[in-house]
Amino acid sequence: MDGVAQRGAASWENGTLAPVDRLRTERADSPTPGLVEGTEPGAGQKSAMFIHAQSFEDLTAAAEQEVGREAELDQPGECGEDLKVLVGEQAIEEQHNSDIASESRPKEEDVSSETWRSHRKHVFVLSEAGKPIYSRYGTEEALSSTMGVMMALVSFVEAEKNIIRSIHADGCKVVFLAKSPLVLVGVYRTCQSDKELLRELQYIYYQIVSLLTLTQLNHIFKHKQNYDLRRLLAGSEYLTDNLLHRLDRDPGLLLSAVTCLPLASSARDVVSSSLQAAKSKSLVFSILLAGDCLVTLVRKKDQFLHHIDLHLVFNLVGSSSSFREGEGWTPICLPKFNTAGFFHAHISYLEPASKLCLILVSTDREDFFNMSDCKQRFLERLNKRSAYQALKEAVKCPSYSVEQVGIPELRHFLYKSKSSGLYTSPEFPAVYQSDEEQERLMGLYQDLHSHLHHPTRPLRSFYRCSETENLLAWVTSGFELYLCFSPLGTKALAVSAVNKLLKWIRKEEDRLFILSPLTY
Amino acid sequence: MGEEHYLELCENPVQFEHASSVNNVFFDEANKQVFAVRSGGATGVVVKGPDDKSSVAFRMDDKGEVKCIKFSIGNKILAVQRTSKSVDFINFIPDYPHTEFTQECKTKNANVLGFCWTNWNEIVFITDQGIEFYQVFPDKRSLKLLKSQSINVNWYQYCPETAVILLSTTVQGNILQPFAFRNGTMSKMTKFEIELPVIPKPAKLSLSERDIAMATIYGQLFVMYLKHHSRTANSPSAEVVLYHLPRDGACKKSHVLKLNTTGKFALNIVDNLVVVHHQSSQTSLIFDIKLKEPDCAVNTHQPVLPARSIHPYRIPLSDSSSWSVFQPDIIISASEGYLWYLQVKLPPTVNLLQDKGKLMDFLLRRRDCKMVILSVCSQILEGGEKGSLPVVATVFDKLNQVYKEYLEAEQTYTVAMESGPSRGSAAQKRPVRTQAVIDQSDMYTHVLSSFTESRGVSHKFIIAVLMEYIRSLNQFQITVQHYLYELVIKTLVQHNLFYMLHQFLQYHVLSDSKPLACLLLSLESTYPPAHQLSLDMLKRLSTANDEIVEVLLSKQQVLGALRFIRSVGGHDNVSARKFLDAAQQTGDQMLFYTVFRSFQQRNQRLRGSPSFNPGEHCEEHVVHFKQLFGDQALMKPSTV
Amino acid sequence: MAFAGILNEADVTAALAACQAADTFDYKTFFGKVGLSGKSSEDVKKAFKVIDQDESGFIEEEELKLFLQNFSPSARALTDAETKTFLAAGDSDGDGKIGIDEFAALVAPDTFCYKKFFELCGLSSKTPQEVKDVFQILDDDNSGYIEESEIKFFLQRFVPGARTLTDAEAKSFISAADDDSDGKIGVDGTRHANQTAFGAKEIQTQVTLMLMISPRMASGMQEKQYTPSLLSFFIYNPTFGPREGEEEKKILFYHPSDVEKNEKIRNVGLCEAIVQFTRTFCPTKPAKSLHTQKNRQFFFEAEDNFWIVMVVRNPMIEKPNKDGKPPTIEYQEEEILDTVYGAVVRQCYSMYKLFNGTFGRAMEAGGVELLIQKLEKFFYRYLQTLHLQSCDLLDVFGGISFFPLDKMTYLKIQSFVNRVEESLSLIKYTAFLYNDQLIWSGLEQDDMRILYKYLTTSLFSVHINAILAFPCGDHQSDFYSKTHHWNIYTTMHSYVLFRFLTGPTNLKDPEAKFRFPKIFVSTEDGYEELHLIVYKAMSAAACFMINASVELTRDFCEQLDGLVGPQLTLLASDICEQFTINRRISGPEKEPQFKFIYFNHMNLAEKSTIHMRKTASVCLTSVHPDLMKILGDINCDFARVDEDEEIIVKAMTDYWVVGKKSDQRELYVILNQKNANLIEVNEEVKRLCATQFNNIFFLD
Repeated sequence: MDGVAQRGAASWENGTLAPVDRLRTERADSPTPGLVEGTEPGAGQKSAMFIHAQSFEDLTAAAEQEVGREAELDQPGECGEDLKVLVGEQAIEEQHNSDIASESRPKEEDVSSETWRSHRKHVFVLSEAGKPIYSRYGTEEALSSTMGVMMALVSFVEAEKNIIRSIHADGCKVVFLAKSPLVLVGVYRTCQSDKELLRELQYIYYQIVSLLTLTQLNHIFKHKQNYDLRRLLAGSEYLTDNLLHRLDRDPGLLLSAVTCLPLASSARDVVSSSLQAAKSKSLVFSILLAGDCLVTLVRKKDQFLHHIDLHLVFNLVGSSSSFREGEGWTPICLPKFNTAGFFHAHISYLEPASKLCLILVSTDREDFFNMSDCKQRFLERLNKRSAYQALKEAVKCPSYSVEQVGIPELRHFLYKSKSSGLYTSPEFPAVYQSDEEQERLMGLYQDLHSHLHHPTRPLRSFYRCSETENLLAWVTSGFELYLCFSPLGTKALAVSAVNKLLKWIRKEEDRLFILSPLTY
Repeated sequence: MGEEHYLELCENPVQFEHASSVNNVFFDEANKQVFAVRSGGATGVVVKGPDDKSSVAFRMDDKGEVKCIKFSIGNKILAVQRTSKSVDFINFIPDYPHTEFTQECKTKNANVLGFCWTNWNEIVFITDQGIEFYQVFPDKRSLKLLKSQSINVNWYQYCPETAVILLSTTVQGNILQPFAFRNGTMSKMTKFEIELPVIPKPAKLSLSERDIAMATIYGQLFVMYLKHHSRTANSPSAEVVLYHLPRDGACKKSHVLKLNTTGKFALNIVDNLVVVHHQSSQTSLIFDIKLKEPDCAVNTHQPVLPARSIHPYRIPLSDSSSWSVFQPDIIISASEGYLWYLQVKLPPTVNLLQDKGKLMDFLLRRRDCKMVILSVCSQILEGGEKGSLPVVATVFDKLNQVYKEYLEAEQTYTVAMESGPSRGSAAQKRPVRTQAVIDQSDMYTHVLSSFTESRGVSHKFIIAVLMEYIRSLNQFQITVQHYLYELVIKTLVQHNLFYMLHQFLQYHVLSDSKPLACLLLSLESTYPPAHQLSLDMLKRLSTANDEIVEVLLSKQQVLGALRFIRSVGGHDNVSARKFLDAAQQTGDQMLFYTVFRSFQQRNQRLRGSPSFNPGEHCEEHVVHFKQLFGDQALMKPSTV
Repeated sequence: MAFAGILNEADVTAALAACQAADTFDYKTFFGKVGLSGKSSEDVKKAFKVIDQDESGFIEEEELKLFLQNFSPSARALTDAETKTFLAAGDSDGDGKIGIDEFAALVAPDTFCYKKFFELCGLSSKTPQEVKDVFQILDDDNSGYIEESEIKFFLQRFVPGARTLTDAEAKSFISAADDDSDGKIGVDGTRHANQTAFGAKEIQTQVTLMLMISPRMASGMQEKQYTPSLLSFFIYNPTFGPREGEEEKKILFYHPSDVEKNEKIRNVGLCEAIVQFTRTFCPTKPAKSLHTQKNRQFFFEAEDNFWIVMVVRNPMIEKPNKDGKPPTIEYQEEEILDTVYGAVVRQCYSMYKLFNGTFGRAMEAGGVELLIQKLEKFFYRYLQTLHLQSCDLLDVFGGISFFPLDKMTYLKIQSFVNRVEESLSLIKYTAFLYNDQLIWSGLEQDDMRILYKYLTTSLFSVHINAILAFPCGDHQSDFYSKTHHWNIYTTMHSYVLFRFLTGPTNLKDPEAKFRFPKIFVSTEDGYEELHLIVYKAMSAAACFMINASVELTRDFCEQLDGLVGPQLTLLASDICEQFTINRRISGPEKEPQFKFIYFNHMNLAEKSTIHMRKTASVCLTSVHPDLMKILGDINCDFARVDEDEEIIVKAMTDYWVVGKKSDQRELYVILNQKNANLIEVNEEVKRLCATQFNNIFFLD
């Protein structure tokens, strides 16, 4: 017992922010003292794949600065039909879109009904003229007056040279986010912190921008103040709906990180190198997904992909089965990269049935055939090497059980490697099978997250012992760790568990993380 | 008026044939026997004792007029004085020779004033020239002089209880010489002088037998001198002077009882009270020498109560001769053939004595005081003239004073017993519990419980009184019984004074006990905080861990219960079934999962296998668990 | 005339006249009067030269002696005593003479004088041990000294945002405490100073106050910190002005009153809109607060349609910019805790209700006009006693601190109360306090809670409030002179053995008025109005409440005085004795080792070893404000679910903060054990519970 306590003491020591050097220093087997960012379990070896935000804070920082990234993108103008292209596709897809069908929105809801009110999260998007653009529940028409009031409030406060942030009532919160030319309003019955909620609104904002580009938006509203943006967005709402759904369930969006498909590093390296080999002049990013897991990502030298952009891509791919039809070719704006222009994404599944989806992001809108050629080359290489088989095997079990860690009281955990922007987490245990339970747990994680990342009172660690579970969160310069224990677990257990878990992750890291990302 | 008589003659007096020309009546203070001697005994002698059983009847030859006749202790030997020179004896011991035998007094030409038995076979002759102490040998029909002392005697008095004889000597007779007798020995005590109001010139006998009486009060022997007022000496009124007569050491004047009147008086001692009968007013006064009088000097006393006549009789003015008063508490009317015991009736005193504190002091020293005291308590709480809190407080304090003294005596006694009778066990005898000891249950049953019910009283007052009582008990470090607390709580609850209750508990005024904790629990429905309070109490008791677990489980706080039991290190041997049941009843799946898994882990830790023993009867729970979460959720026997 | 051209003749004569009599000279008043204080440093220099006759560059003692004659030859010489004090005050470097700077310092309008300051905040004196403890808390760098630089921020530590001391002030302050004249106050220095300059308690205060300051502010003068402050406070009823153009009728009270009418209407309008809007989403639960970049607004519907709104400006930092650009202002939007200020608003209402009854009552009695009057009268004063910068968790709890006492003494108090109530049957309720802590209350919890708040933060501690006169300068001081019905004067006689805190100051005085404050407490059916008599003997205070319909006479007061005075004094000494005994047993040293706040919702019992003293105006905490806020955050978490919970966090400053919630109890502990781990921290807390709370049930 003593031994444990002491090791506990040791591992809780940490914290000193040693100067960040990405050069691989020899990896301690657990991140006990002197852990240097970039050496934590899961840290990328050569360099990271993302311009990685240390955390979500930079989300809220004004995000419009990327203009003038070297990649020459086609400037808006004829983006009009680009949209039609995209929207057109969606139009076709709608009907045979299984996961959307399940998600189809109860539009016709009576907005004065109790059921409408009692939704956990409302999200409204409106123009600065107060025109409805999006509402998660209920039709925009029915809500136009409500949105009118919202806008009134925003502008009234603005008139005082002030900015409205949020309204608080017991068990209900209204959060405002003014992102000219849009205004986003969230009404929440959850107990998330304002910052969390703002982050979610940010995502929605970027989702819309990714469809239109900011330039486009500004352009439209400059010319027609009370333009009804829904005309442009018609048929794309399901993307927003889906994103909202993800926000409740996907730890990645919370942690500003993505998770990887557990895969033997050897196999992964083969896949990566195959992608690397299949390059092309205008190709910026090649991304291979398995469902919501990243298999690998290859990027142009010194072109970084922001995890928000990546999540938007995930969302786009995950939301529409249309791409199973064959090769999709769609313009997409990656707002964190550049809010001004469109990329063009070649999206296709390796096999119609498979979960493996390849996204090739190009700067050239005429590049379709180039891209499909790249895909072919990639497939050939992959098939040549035996790796493909291994990959398919891995796809069959995209996750792992927490039992493997061997701590009975440990129910679930999230581990994020800050330097690589990747996280890992086991599948939910038996008690968290129902959606409500899973979302509740996510809620708890969000809660921990917002405590640790409090804007003015950040914390090193947070332990909560409640009636349903014991939670421990710990953030260091290298990683963020969130654990969920049985409520009958002790503190001593928690402390020892942390060490045990970190050892385990270290052991498994080359399976769970992408340690050697590649560039063309 | 009637109910104000605080003195009365006993219900059933001893009856005997009244004195007449043919029938002489004698009274023996030692055995409290009345002798009716018809024609010198020839036609029979009837002896009536204090109770009828011990009445004896016999005949004896008429050998002349009987001067004095007394049985030895236990009616063994009868002594009869017929002449002034000798005393005759008759055996009453079965199969001993019955024929009389006689003893002349040793001293030449001395006259026998009288005799007293100091034992079943020891007798003292008092002559005008001294005293002679004999042992009687009934079998030999002879006496043996044990000791004698020559001294001029005017008259004498005998106190049977202490076997002390008091001789009046000197011309004026005011020098008193006491002798004490104890099995076979006669000891001369220091003589003392009674201060006479006036020294007569020429000197003559001026201290009469009638003005002196001996009695034990509060276990002490006193010589009471009835000091008449005299015009010459400026004593405004008569008074009774008490001389304390210790077994050894000098006798000294200790108390003065102011009679505040003049005339003929007679004295009795009843229940340690000095009763003074005043003939002319036909009333009696009572004095308690232990009652301190704040307003006058330490050892002078005023009557405790206003003068009242004896109920139902008055002392008749007329032939007072036929009324005689004997110590300590006997009144005889020879002419009517009655013997009464004088008795003090306490209830009337309650209304006669306004100062409740003084009343308590008075009552607490009386024999049959309990019910009266309790009634006084009820009276000052509920009665018409309700006492103010300070009064109530003093009363409680006086009661508890006595109560505490008793408890302490008990305590020391039991300690001594435990330490083994070896050390000074002779001295150690179980302290007697007098009626004056009024404990909490007495107060509860006779006073407080009914008081708290009573309509007329404001709850404010009720609570105040209860707190006073508890305060008083605490002040005397007497542990308060929980039923008093319950009374407090009930009253508070009855009037929704929960906040007060809370404060009392907060300051531990109502000290902890399981019954109290349970009572609090029962209040929870009306007053939720009671739950917390009772848990705290159980915790403080530190012997109630099981109760705590039960309470928590009853509130469906299964986790709380488990955590608690763990904190007190008992979770390895609690019944899994109990907790699993509780968890299952809540219908909270998560909870059930948690509890189930934790017990699996316990099994793992204790037995190296997560499965339950058949003995634990958890099969159904295992099934339930599988239904909810599937087999794979069951903990696998881990090899590590 | 020497000072011609520098000073105004009339002023000088006036000043001299003021100190004709020996030993009436006080340099401050004098400089004030002659108007030297106001002068430019140039003029001050001139003046100095005049006084420094031998042009030694110093004013020596003998020159000082003839000081007045510089102003008018006919003036008297200073007495030795005066000269000495004068010199002592001026000579901050201890060379026995006054240099030009020292003189300037003397002349400068120093409102701050440590002696006065400490007199005013007469905190209960502490033992040397405690002084030491506090001193160490302060001395973060363990240098063992409080350096002059720290002294400069003295007032700010008291109330963040207050001015820094002038060098002179700091100097004289230091020199007063600094016995070994090393320019620093050491622990022993303080100890020594206790005897000479000012008492242990002052040092203690001084040290505690210093803890108030947060690093942000310590960081230097160029950056200016503004603490949260009251922007506006208003009460409205939307139903009063339903029609267009009548909006003004809705407004019943508005602070600050000088706001232009339309703005008032606008702001009220916004609140209405917010409330309305929120209803569309939760009709049952009204809006409670509005967050904006610059401020927060707190809404409270005190009674049907009567809304109280408090607008608090977020704390902000003003960063001066180079090249004369206007300073950039940075609002700290996350610094204000809704729970705390929400509670403050509710408290405002409770306090109004305590002294005036409900709004509805005023309406019945005299319609809107009366209500408006009452609100005006009450809040005008009350709002100025709000000190938003020092609000914290304790305001959320609004708890009552109970005085620890042994059973027997408690019972004595019980029977005292009962007897008084019996013999003076007019008395309806009684409350008994000792050392500003409650021992007995006949009132219901919620009434007692607010009454207690009034007693402890206002009535008992007016003299404490008075301190605020100078950190927050401005018109505060004259406010206190106004609030006579709050019985400041009584505290002036605090050494009197026993006396009335409310009502007549002096019974003997034939003029004495027998008017007592009236309070309203709730009953099963509504409320009742009561006279509040507060009677104090030594540290014990008894509150007697009597139905207001009864006219209180001199006789009654004398009767009460005669009955209660002696008994209460006796009790007070009893309690004091008992307390010291218990203290000796339990050992006072245990206390400071733990910093914790405890609150029990069941009986409102509150205990804090973090707050040295808590009044409406002052909150001396021994921990960093940010830690206090973390406590607040944890408290919010607890409020969300009514299950037992425990939260342990480690702050970036490596402090550990533990929150425990068991049944209705909450315990917050702050541990300064930087390299402890979760397990050790848990052990610490267990130890705390064992020593402090062994008699209550805490879930593990």
